[in-house]
Order: sequence, then structure tokens, then C-alpha cells
Amino acid sequence: MPQSRAHRIPKRFRGRSRLATALITLVLIAVALYILAPLIFMFTASLMPAKDVMKMPYPWIPRSFHWQNYWQAIRGNDGSFIFPRNILNSLIVATSITLSTVLLASMTGYGLAKFEFKGRKLVFMMIIATMMVPFQAIMIPLYLIVTDIGLQDTYLGLIAPFLVNAFGVFLMRQYLLTFPDEMLDAARIDGAGEFQIFWRLIIPNSWPAIATLAILTFRSQWDNLIWPLLIVQSEEMKTIPLYITRFASEKYTDEGAMMAVAAIASLPIAILFIFLAKYFVGGAKLFAARKG
Amino acid sequence: MWKRWISKGGLERRRALWGWVFVTPALIYFGLFSFYPIANAIRMSFFKKNLLSLAAPRFIGLKNYLYLFNSPSFWNSLKASAIFTGGTFALLVVVSLVLAVFITSRKRFQKIMQMAYFSPAIVSSVVAASIWLLIFDPRGIGNQWVNLIMNTPGVDHRWLASAVMLRLSTILVYFWKYVGYFTIIYIAGISSIPVTLIEAARIDGATAWQKFWHITFPLLRPTTLLVSVVSMIQCLRTFSTQYMFTQAGAPRGPIDVITLSVYNTAIRDYRIGRASALSIILLLIMLFLSWIQFRVSKSEDVSYV
Repeated sequence: MPQSRAHRIPKRFRGRSRLATALITLVLIAVALYILAPLIFMFTASLMPAKDVMKMPYPWIPRSFHWQNYWQAIRGNDGSFIFPRNILNSLIVATSITLSTVLLASMTGYGLAKFEFKGRKLVFMMIIATMMVPFQAIMIPLYLIVTDIGLQDTYLGLIAPFLVNAFGVFLMRQYLLTFPDEMLDAARIDGAGEFQIFWRLIIPNSWPAIATLAILTFRSQWDNLIWPLLIVQSEEMKTIPLYITRFASEKYTDEGAMMAVAAIASLPIAILFIFLAKYFVGGAKLFAARKG
Repeated sequence: MWKRWISKGGLERRRALWGWVFVTPALIYFGLFSFYPIANAIRMSFFKKNLLSLAAPRFIGLKNYLYLFNSPSFWNSLKASAIFTGGTFALLVVVSLVLAVFITSRKRFQKIMQMAYFSPAIVSSVVAASIWLLIFDPRGIGNQWVNLIMNTPGVDHRWLASAVMLRLSTILVYFWKYVGYFTIIYIAGISSIPVTLIEAARIDGATAWQKFWHITFPLLRPTTLLVSVVSMIQCLRTFSTQYMFTQAGAPRGPIDVITLSVYNTAIRDYRIGRASALSIILLLIMLFLSWIQFRVSKSEDVSYV
């Protein structure tokens, strides 16, 4: 394993020997290989016939582009063409959740950051407390609620538990705390209503925080397996993670086609990553800035 | 002017009202979809309830908990979660710190390196598991590379079959997916250390190792604490990797982490009460970890003066 070589004496600073520099470079490259190899494997294998994917040693460069994998991924092993529908489901669910999270989190964050009222601290603490609760601890009661009101196997049922989350509220509040009060007062003196101020002033000026929150939310929903696993029964309502688990466990699944499914599933997030990488990192940076 | 006829108290009251207007929708939502389910999970953990039966749940006190504490499969789950969490967290903390220190020591390619390490963020955990399932195939590149490095041609390391390897495999997948994330957190932490401190040490003739061990590392303690707790809590929540691996035919025992066990108890065995008790135990473990973080971070505020 390449990463175990990483336990060298770290030489952080200028003036180190050539050897140390070379070793550091070597370690960094070895780890980069370990990180990138599976992604490259996914992409190259998705263009190879199964017998090449499982060839020893793995060829890495496709001899010719075996586009049939992508066709089979979309068509499904049984020819039902359910995958496009499942992709659409994932898009609908993740987009709705993202929109509602952004709206509700910025409203709540704004209320908590810019208004004085009795119990504000308590409200904030209560919302933050829910961050500690793992979804797995509440999924069974949620499942019972959602099935009780007859929302199993529906979009609403898939969306309902994720309309807003505490992290989003926290993020928006922290961001809006720094919003200048003078601008709000100026708008009020100009006679703007409170909703108008929220919509015209707060939302357009919170773009970095909103983008970060939107991307984090969309990505985590794109990855959501456990809730759809509980709530979805029909093939038509499945989301991408469910389709992947099904496709992977089918007996005659072709390895190349499997990687084509994986590549298609990763495409939207990959596009977001290429164009908006700094917002992906934004969440991590925010965590670090919080300092414990 | 309207300002003149609204007294100061009136204006404040009006503002407070608007605060509630913005906060209330989310508050109601959190009540219905967070607080009520938590309360309900706690309540149900004292009842015997079958998912499929229409019979009213029967109050059985602590029997669900007692059953769990006497059941080998519960202790096995706890052990599986502990091994997975401990292994992944240790790897993540150590390696991401080393990577962050190495990357920040370079003059060029810092951004590209960060992006490369962070790139597994584009794949979902289900996709990650499906890629690694092929890598861990007996004919896959897992065996090929390990055999190349260790010079053991033709050996099958039974990544998905033997208990030890299976645990290691899930750890490797998770580590792979998140090491870049924590590296970036560490880099942010390192870049907040004042350069003057390090310069001073350099002028005093400290070696690189001394500078790391006596300056960088101690000042990174809040970051290390944050990374530790965040990664531990995240590891305890793992589900997709283990679920996918067992779906692909790997034995469940060694990787039957608590979350997987909650799912199977509730959905496969229909035992809602018992599954609730299990999930409450998971919640308590996480609260305990968060509490430790809170306590330690209070006493650990770093000042650079």
C-alpha cells in the first residue's frame, strides 16, 4: 500500500536536503496514484469489454471504445430502460431538496442572525442540537410517519425528511452575521418590506454561502441510499443509488457496463466539481474556520 | 414619519415579530421531522413492536436493551463499528496531517495536489463501493498491485472473503473517499499559523522535524481534535459501503456495523422496538463523542501570542 510510506519525517520548510524533497515528492505522487487509480479505472473500464476489465494485468488503456457498455447501462440487463427514469428521479429529488434547503436555511439563518427576539438563543441551540442526531437514529420513526400518511413510494416521501437541515441553518446564520446592519436599515428607511429585503437584498448577497450549501446538499442527496431503500418499492420510483445496488447484484452483470453505470451516475457531480470546485471545498474550510 | 409614532418598544416588538416569522417554518419542520422522531425512537425502544403485525405495541420496559446486551450479534456489531471507526479514523488523521504538511511544504502544484486528493468527492459512496468491489475481485487490480509491491505473484489476498481483509477493505474504501477532505481541513489549519513563528524557529536553528513537532503540530491541536471527532462521527454513520459489500456476497459478520444492523433488524426482521433500542445506543455513542469534543475544545483554545 503506497500510503504507508507516508510516515516519513515531515520537512515543512525551506532549506531541506534534496533527498528529503525527492522523498516528499515520491510520497505525494504515490498517494495521488492510489487516489486517482480507482477513478481512472472506473472511466477506462467503462469503455472496455468485460473480458478486458478482468484481464490480468489490467490493460488501463481501452483498445477500442466499447460504447456498448453505456448502451447496456441505460438499457438495463432486462431491457427495461428503467435507468433514465431513475436518473430523472434522483434529479427531481435532489433538486427539490436543494431548493427547499437553501430557501428555509437562509430564511432561518437570517431570522437568527439579524433579529433580536426572546428565545433566539434557545431556538438556535435546539436546531444545532439536531446536528448531533444521526439519521439512522430517527429513520425508523420517520419511516413509520411517512408510511402512515401514505407517502411511501412517492416523491414527497423521498423528499419530506430532508427539507432543511441544521448544518444549513448554521452555515447561513454564520454567513449573515457579518452582513452590514446599515444596509438593512437603509432599505427599511427606503420603505422596503421585510420579505422584500430578504428576497432582494439578503438572497442575492449571500451567493457564496448559498452555493456552498446547495452543492453540499445536492451531493449528499445524490448519494442517499438508506432512505430510498426504506421508502421505495417500485422500480419506477428508484433513485440512482438503488439502481446501482440492483445492477451490481444482478447475476450476469457485465463489469464494463457496471462501470458505465458508475460513470453516468458520477457525471452531474463531476461537472459541478470541475466548474465549482471552490464551493466543494468551502464546506471543509468553514469547518476548519470554526476551530473546534 | 412612521418612526415618530412607533415608540422604541413598539419597533423592537415589531422586529422581534419578524424574527419569529422567518424562524417559525423551520422550527415547525424540525419539530415534526427531528424532535418528534427522536422522542418516538426513545419511546419505541421500550416497546415490542413488529413492523408487519397490526397488534398494538406492547410495553416491555428495558427488555430490548437487555436482549441486546445479551446478544452476541450486538457485541459483534459494536466490535465491527469500533474496528471500522478506529481504523479509518486513525488512518485519516495521521495520513491527512502528513499529506497536508507535505503539500504545504511544496512551492508549486499545491492546488493541483489538493484537487487530486479531493477528487473522490465526485463519486457517491455507492459508486465508490461498486468500483472497489471490482478492484477487490480476485482478478482485480487490488491483488495485482499488492502482489507487484510485495513481490508475491499470483497470490489472492481474499479482500472480500477473509474477516480481517474484509474489514481492511471497507476501511480502505472509506479512507480513499475522505482523505482529501481532511487534508484540506488540515491545510486550512496550517495556513492559519502565523509565518513569523516558523521564521523565528528557523532563525533559532530548529530542524524541520523540530519545527513540526514543537510548533506546527501543537498549534494544530484544535484542527486535529476537529478532524478526529468529525471523522469518528462520520465513520459511525457509514452504511453504503458495508451494505454494498454484503449485497455483493461478502460475509456480513465482520462488517455488520451498527447502522447495517439497525437496518436489518428493522427491515429484514421487522423488529421495530429492538432496532429503535439499537439506534438509541448509536445516538448515545455519538452524543458522547460530541460531548468530549466540546469539553476538550473549550480547554484547548490556541492563542498565537
